[in-house]
Amino acid sequence: MSTATEESHRHRAETLRTAMAGNTAITEAVLRTGVAARAAGGPPVAEPYDDLARQIGEASYRVTDAEVAAVREAAGSDKAAFEIVMSACVGAGLARWDAAARVIVEATDASA
Amino acid sequence: MRLPEVERGDGLRTRMLIRVISLALGARLPDAARVAFYHKGFVGTALGAWTQAAMRGPSEWSVAERELMAAMVAMWNSCPFCVGAHRAIAVHGMDKAVADAALAGYHTAPISEPLRATLAVLETMTLRPDELESEQVRAALAAGVTRRQLDDAVAVAAVFNIVTRYANALGFAIPTDAEFDKAAGMMLKRGYA
Repeated sequence: MSTATEESHRHRAETLRTAMAGNTAITEAVLRTGVAARAAGGPPVAEPYDDLARQIGEASYRVTDAEVAAVREAAGSDKAAFEIVMSACVGAGLARWDAAARVIVEATDASA
Repeated sequence: MRLPEVERGDGLRTRMLIRVISLALGARLPDAARVAFYHKGFVGTALGAWTQAAMRGPSEWSVAERELMAAMVAMWNSCPFCVGAHRAIAVHGMDKAVADAALAGYHTAPISEPLRATLAVLETMTLRPDELESEQVRAALAAGVTRRQLDDAVAVAAVFNIVTRYANALGFAIPTDAEFDKAAGMMLKRGYA
């Protein structure tokens, strides 16, 4: 059984997921969702986005100036590059949220 | 910061705001706040609202315990900016020696058993999410963690698995200890939204 607080966090997680994939950005939604999935261990996307998304997902402390600069050049502006970086981060974070929420439900349903 | 426009601010109003807050703070406005002000129509509002709810909303965890969880996630993700920022806030509500002991090794730190068991869940969630299993959650419940505490803790960890990544990817400047302390006071007063 879920708690009110879990419902609240789930709602906020879904609001964030919707914002990342939504229409208030300047980059294509398919690129943002692809980058988010890649940072969560999903299939490759086009370069130079793939390198940065994978690195953000696996080891963000290893991201280099060159990786961000390559995405900045391909995306065309700081704002577009920012959207790519944030989409990758949101993808990696929400994948962890999804995993944790699932095992909490499994554990508490089984013990209820 | 690797994207100059994020550091400067997008628009005259934001640039003025950055200048005014820096003056009030007596220090350079940390890059985390600059990101929060940038391109707010994208994910900033949704992420800020979730962060505020997770870190300052009603919870069976204290603010200091949640800040320590954020600092722990930052340590696991090798994010020096977020370790410094959230340790500095945590020590306003817990003994510095306890916070530092947890960061050095939570398995042996003088913290409560429920917090220790929760940190074990958050560590797996952060570093090896594919290995997170219900058995580990059951172990936390057996250690006295409530379902609500688990829900709140994994929300903190989810948010900081996002924040630590963009802090690293965007190349946040690392403030001095004195600047972290000043920013901590502001974060306790104003929150995250």
